[in-house]
Amino acid sequence: MANLETSLKECLSAIDGASAAALVDYTSGMALGTLGGSKEFNLEVAAAGNTDVVRAKLRTMELLGLKEEIEDILITLNSQYHLIRLLKGRGGNGLFLYLVLDASRANLAMARHQLRRIESELEV
Amino acid sequence: MTRVTTAWAAHETTSAALGALAAEGATGALSGDRGIVYLSAGRVVHVESAFTPDLGALLTRSGAVPPDGWWDAVDRGGTQHRVGHRLVDSGRLTAGALEVCHLGALFDAAYFVLAHDTRAHRFRPGAVHWLGAVRSVPVDVVVRETGRRRALLDRIWPDAAIDTAPLTRVRDARAAGLPVRRSRTLTQVDGVRTAAEIASALACRTYHTLVELRRLAAAGLVTAAPPAPAPAAAAPEPGGVVWDDPDTALLRRLRDALEAL
Repeated sequence: MANLETSLKECLSAIDGASAAALVDYTSGMALGTLGGSKEFNLEVAAAGNTDVVRAKLRTMELLGLKEEIEDILITLNSQYHLIRLLKGRGGNGLFLYLVLDASRANLAMARHQLRRIESELEV
Repeated sequence: MTRVTTAWAAHETTSAALGALAAEGATGALSGDRGIVYLSAGRVVHVESAFTPDLGALLTRSGAVPPDGWWDAVDRGGTQHRVGHRLVDSGRLTAGALEVCHLGALFDAAYFVLAHDTRAHRFRPGAVHWLGAVRSVPVDVVVRETGRRRALLDRIWPDAAIDTAPLTRVRDARAAGLPVRRSRTLTQVDGVRTAAEIASALACRTYHTLVELRRLAAAGLVTAAPPAPAPAAAAPEPGGVVWDDPDTALLRRLRDALEAL
């Protein structure tokens, strides 16, 4: 059965174009696990910075009185997609999976589909 | 394995003692004022503190694992220090979910042990926690993350008493208009419960609860209750308990079992 490390590995191996993945606690900004990244792309920094994105969106939704939940957040750069997927479930409350994808190789629909499967292994 | 020296005892703070033990690659349990840190080959494998609900409380109260299932794993795996493995092997939890919950509980407890960074009491070489190996974290990561959390909480509202004291609602404090998680937290504030007990009641991670409580304090809705002249049975007593006995875990399990009857 998949543990945290194999789940992150699966993100990179099963999802076309994926180059880095992290599981992040968005209340504290701490990455519980990271895989991939490089000298040029510090995944810890990306994880901490993206918690601000998630929190800002959650706060905006509160202000707007929206009762919905965020399923994912897509950030499109020139050559990359950054996909933030919030984990559901009792224990996963407050966590998101962060995925960096090469825009030329990635299939977003497939990536979402695969992520949904992988995250089910991490949910309580 | 490296023979453990007593170098840790020369340090004034628990975090410095942990650093010395990590450098030695030590295995064992370091007890401080507010909890116990378990090391394996110099890495942190578990932390427990009376100020946070433990992994069992989080898993059972959230409904993720039925209490029977948890106790079954403790009974069958406890003596071999394989409770975590038992939970996964019995199919009650995926390994990934267990790791996520375990890391959450580890950092929650570490916050309390290290936020109040006094001199460590003692080190028991070779001591192993009954939960067994789930994941390990380098000591410096735990120390750094704890400091970061303390700074984050102090930025919201710089009153550490909120973390450990019984909390009370300011008169006229209303939950209306608050975000869901904050209002749910506010409804649990009753003048007796501490942050740990509120986190346990909500089956919510303690750090997340502390963030909400400090926000409520910043908004002037919650304060630390004045120390009662005749304290009601409000456990745990802040600062009073020294968790240095190897049977602490057993006693806590016993207490939880009695409560669950």
